[in-house]
Amino acid sequence: MAITNATIGISSNVTDSSLSVSNTTELNTAGTTTGVNTMTSVTKVLSSTDQVDLITTGSVSTTHAYVYINNPSTDETKYFIVTIGNAGAGSPTDTEEIGRLYAGDFMWMPWDVDDDICITPSTADDMTVEYMVFS
Amino acid sequence: MATTATLTLASADIAGDPVSVSKTATLTKAGTINDLDQSIGLNRVHLRSTTNKVLLSANTEGNNLAAKVYIINKAVDTSLYLTVTINAQTVGKLYGGDFLFIPWSQTDTDANIEVAATNWTSSTGDIPVEYALFHEDTDFLTNA
Repeated sequence: MAITNATIGISSNVTDSSLSVSNTTELNTAGTTTGVNTMTSVTKVLSSTDQVDLITTGSVSTTHAYVYINNPSTDETKYFIVTIGNAGAGSPTDTEEIGRLYAGDFMWMPWDVDDDICITPSTADDMTVEYMVFS
Repeated sequence: MATTATLTLASADIAGDPVSVSKTATLTKAGTINDLDQSIGLNRVHLRSTTNKVLLSANTEGNNLAAKVYIINKAVDTSLYLTVTINAQTVGKLYGGDFLFIPWSQTDTDANIEVAATNWTSSTGDIPVEYALFHEDTDFLTNA
C-alpha cells in the first residue's frame, strides 16, 4: 500500500477580504483507507484539432481513480477542451464538455472510470498535454 | 486582483523513486493574461440528499469564458462520498476528504454541476461540502 498525498492551495484577493484555502487528502481506493498503488504519467504532443481519447477506461483496472491534466503552454491563446462521456471505438461521441484548460491551467478530479476522458486542442500547432492517473 | 491555485502531488513509495509534482496556476480570463476577477467566495452546505442537487447553476453567458470550480467533501468518514455530475454525466466520486479543481464551460443551461450524497443514510450524518467558483461571467448575478 502506497501513501500518496494531494494538496490544494487556493489564494484569491478578488474580494475585499482575501480567500485562502488549503487542504490535503490521501489518495485511497474507493471508500477505504487503503492507498492507491498505481500511477501513470504521460506527456503527449498533439498536432491536430481532432478530439482524441486521452485517458481510456481500459487503461485503469479500478472503478475509482484520480486524474491530473496540465496544459503547460505559455501561449494564452492555446487551450484544450476537456470532455467526458461515451467514447466509442476511437471516435468520441456524445461527450459532455467539462471545461477548457487555458495556458498554464491544470485540473484535478476524481474519475469513476465509466467513460473516457477526451481532449480537443484549440490549434493544429504542436500542443503538449501532461496527465497523471492514480488508481 | 489575482487568484492562484497550487496542486502538489507527493508519494514516497508509489514508484521506485519518490514522486513529487507541484503546479501553480494563476487563473486568467479565457484566452488572455488578464486575471479572473469574480468569485462567489467559499460556501458550505450540508448534504443529505441521495439524489442530485444543483450546487452551481450553469449560465450560458459563461460559455466560452473561463471558470474554475473547487469542491471538497469535508466528511471525516472516508467511505461517505459525493457523486459529482455535469449535465447528468458523472464525473467522479469525492470520498471523505477528497477535493476537485476543474474548469467549467457552462456550455448551456443544462451544464449544472450537481452533487448527490449517494450512500447517505439517516445514520451516517450529513456530508459537509465546501465549494468555490472563480469566473468571468458578464452578468454579475450568476452562479449563486
